[in-house]
Amino acid sequence: MHEVEIKMREAARTLLESGKVDLVLGFEQGSLPLRMRPCFARNAGATVGLVWNDFCANNLAAYLPGLFQKPADVRGSWTAPTVAVVAKRCDARSVIELIKENQIPRQNVVLIGMPCQGMVDPRKAQEAAGANVTACKMAPDKQVELTTAEGGVAMSPREAILADACLECATPAPQGADVEIPGPSRPSAANPYGRLSEFESLTARERWDAFVGEISKCIRCYACRQACPNCYCKTCFIEQSKPTWAGVGDELSDVLLFHIGRIFHQAGRCVGCDACVRACPKNIDLRLFTRKIVKDVQELFGYVPGMSLDEQPPLCTFKEDDNESFITHP
Amino acid sequence: MPQASLRKEHFGKFVAAVSKGRKFFGPLECSDGVQLAELSPQDVPAFEYGNFTLPPKRFFLPRSEVIAVHGPGGMAATPPSQERVVLFGVRPCDAMSLTYMDKVFIDETYVDPYYRSRRENTLIITLACRQPAVTCFCASVKGCPAGTAGADIAASDLGDALLLESITDAGHAFLAEHAGLMGKPSTAQLKARDSQHADAGKKMSPVDVEKLPARLQAAFESKTWDDISQRCLGCGVCTFLCPTCHCFGLHDEQVGPVQRRVRAQDACAFPTFTLEASGHNPRTRQGARMRQRVMHKFCYAAENFGELFCVGCGRCIRSCPANLDIRQTLAEVPE
Repeated sequence: MHEVEIKMREAARTLLESGKVDLVLGFEQGSLPLRMRPCFARNAGATVGLVWNDFCANNLAAYLPGLFQKPADVRGSWTAPTVAVVAKRCDARSVIELIKENQIPRQNVVLIGMPCQGMVDPRKAQEAAGANVTACKMAPDKQVELTTAEGGVAMSPREAILADACLECATPAPQGADVEIPGPSRPSAANPYGRLSEFESLTARERWDAFVGEISKCIRCYACRQACPNCYCKTCFIEQSKPTWAGVGDELSDVLLFHIGRIFHQAGRCVGCDACVRACPKNIDLRLFTRKIVKDVQELFGYVPGMSLDEQPPLCTFKEDDNESFITHP
Repeated sequence: MPQASLRKEHFGKFVAAVSKGRKFFGPLECSDGVQLAELSPQDVPAFEYGNFTLPPKRFFLPRSEVIAVHGPGGMAATPPSQERVVLFGVRPCDAMSLTYMDKVFIDETYVDPYYRSRRENTLIITLACRQPAVTCFCASVKGCPAGTAGADIAASDLGDALLLESITDAGHAFLAEHAGLMGKPSTAQLKARDSQHADAGKKMSPVDVEKLPARLQAAFESKTWDDISQRCLGCGVCTFLCPTCHCFGLHDEQVGPVQRRVRAQDACAFPTFTLEASGHNPRTRQGARMRQRVMHKFCYAAENFGELFCVGCGRCIRSCPANLDIRQTLAEVPE
C-alpha cells in the first residue's frame, strides 16, 4: 500500500511541476479515526500531504463540475483549470459519465488511476469493535486490528468491515486512466447486484413498504445529492419554485418525491460509488434503490455507466429496436 | 438539591407512570443507532450511547410545521401545541443548547409562541456522559459531561440504578410526583457519581475559543474561508444536526384545495438561503456561506447574546461527508 502511495505522490508532483495541471484532487489525513478527506494540492510542495490507504472513500468527481464553472463573482475572462484526480475506478467511471454529459472538458482532466482493494466502512468497523474505534491497522491473513478509545483491541476479517459497495464492485482495477499507478486490486465481484435479489423477490407492495420505511428517516439535508457526482443540476427540481414540485418540509410525500426524483435521475448513470450512502447522516440505504434502477437499464439497454467514453448513454440515444417491454398500456 | 435513586428494573413502571400525563421519549435502539424515541413501558431503553444523531431541537423547532391555514374565514394561525412531553436521556451539551435557543425564541421583545409553548410543556431529564466521543469538546465551550444547564432533572447512570437530581421547580415537582417508585440514594451511589463525573471530564481534547469573536471579525475578508471551504460539498448536515442552528424560512404552499403557511428549517450552506427574488444572490461562494455559519455561532451570537452558540456536541464533525472539522476550522482563522 505504501508503495502505491509513493508512486501516486510522485505522479501528482510531476504533473504539478511540469505545469500540466493546476490542481491535483487527492486525499489527505482526516481529523477522525478511519477517515481520509479530500485534498486540493495546487503546487508541488502540497503533494507531500497526499495519502493513499483503505480510508480514501470520497468520490472526488463530485467536486469537478463546480471547478469548471466560471464563478458567479468573477467578471471578464476566466480560464478553466486543468485538474488531475486521484481516482479509484468507481470515481474514474463517474468522471467518464461527466465528460459524456458535457459537465467537464476531457482535455482539462487527468485521471490518476488507483488500484483498489476496497474501502473500509467506518460504521462497520465501529460495530465490529463494539466501541469507539481510534485506529485501524492492517494485520496479516487479511485481518485488521481495531484499537478502541477504551484501550481494547479487536480483530476483524478485512472483508467484514469493507463498504457494501466495494464488496459488490465489478471494476476494482484501474483501466483507461491517463496515469495508472500499479498495484494490487481486489478481484471483481462475481455478482455486482447480489444484495438486490432479496429486494427483487418482494411483492410490489412489500417493495414500496421497504422504500417508504427507509426514506422516512430522511431529514432532507441533501448530503446524498451534494456528495453525488451525478447531481450537478444548477437548481435541483426539488428547489425549483416555478413551478413548485414539492413542499419544503419533511412531510413524507415531499421527502418521497425528492428521493424518487433523485433515484430516477440516476438511471443509466449511477456507478455505485456509495457516496450518497456514506454522506447520509441517517444511514439510509439509498444504494439499494439506485442499484435496482441501474440494473434495469443494464438489462433493458445493455448499458453499464462509465465503462467507455465512446458508448452513448441510453438516455441520449434512440434506436428503433429499443426495448419497450416496460411500457405498459392502460 | 432533591435527589432520588431509581432502580433500572423499575424503569418500565416509571415510563408507565409518567405516560399517564405526558409523552415519554427516551433512548431506544433503532435501525439507525440509538435515537430519542417515544417509549412504551415494555420497551427496553438503551443506556449505552454516545449521543443521538439528531439534536433535541426538533422537539421545539421541528424540521417543518404548518403555522397557518387559509380557510373560508381567511388566514387562521395554527394554535401552538400544548402536548406535555418528557425527554429522558438528553445529553448535557444538548440541554445547554436549549438555553441558547431560548435567547433567540423567547427574548424580551420577540417571543415565538410555538417554541415557547413546547418549551413550557417539556421536561428535560439529562443523562450525564461517562464516555465522551472523539468528536466531543463540551468542556471547551462552557459545558461539562455532567453539566446541568438546561436540565430540569440531571440523571447519572450508576449501573443498576439511575441517580436523579432535580434542578428546577418543575423538576422538584416531577420527582415528588414519582417519589413512590424511587428511593433515597446511598452514600456509595453519590460517591460513584462523583468519581464518574470527574473521570468523564478528563477525556476531551481542548479547543481554543478565547478571543474568537474578535479574531473572526478581523478575518472577515480573509482568503482562508475560500481555502477551508474548498472541501465543503454544500449540504445541510452540519446545520440540521447542530443543536443551536435555528434559521428557518416561511413558505406558502398549496396542498389540494388547502393553502397553508409552513415554517421549515433552512441552512446557510445552501445557495438558495440568500437567493433574492430579483435573482441576485449576495453569497455566491461557498466560502462566504461557510463563513456566515462560523461567524453566526462564534461572533454574532457572542455580540447579540453574550454566548458562543456551540455546545461542543461534535455532530457536525462526526457527520460531515467531507470531514470538515469545526475545531480545525476555528484554529485556521488567522490571528
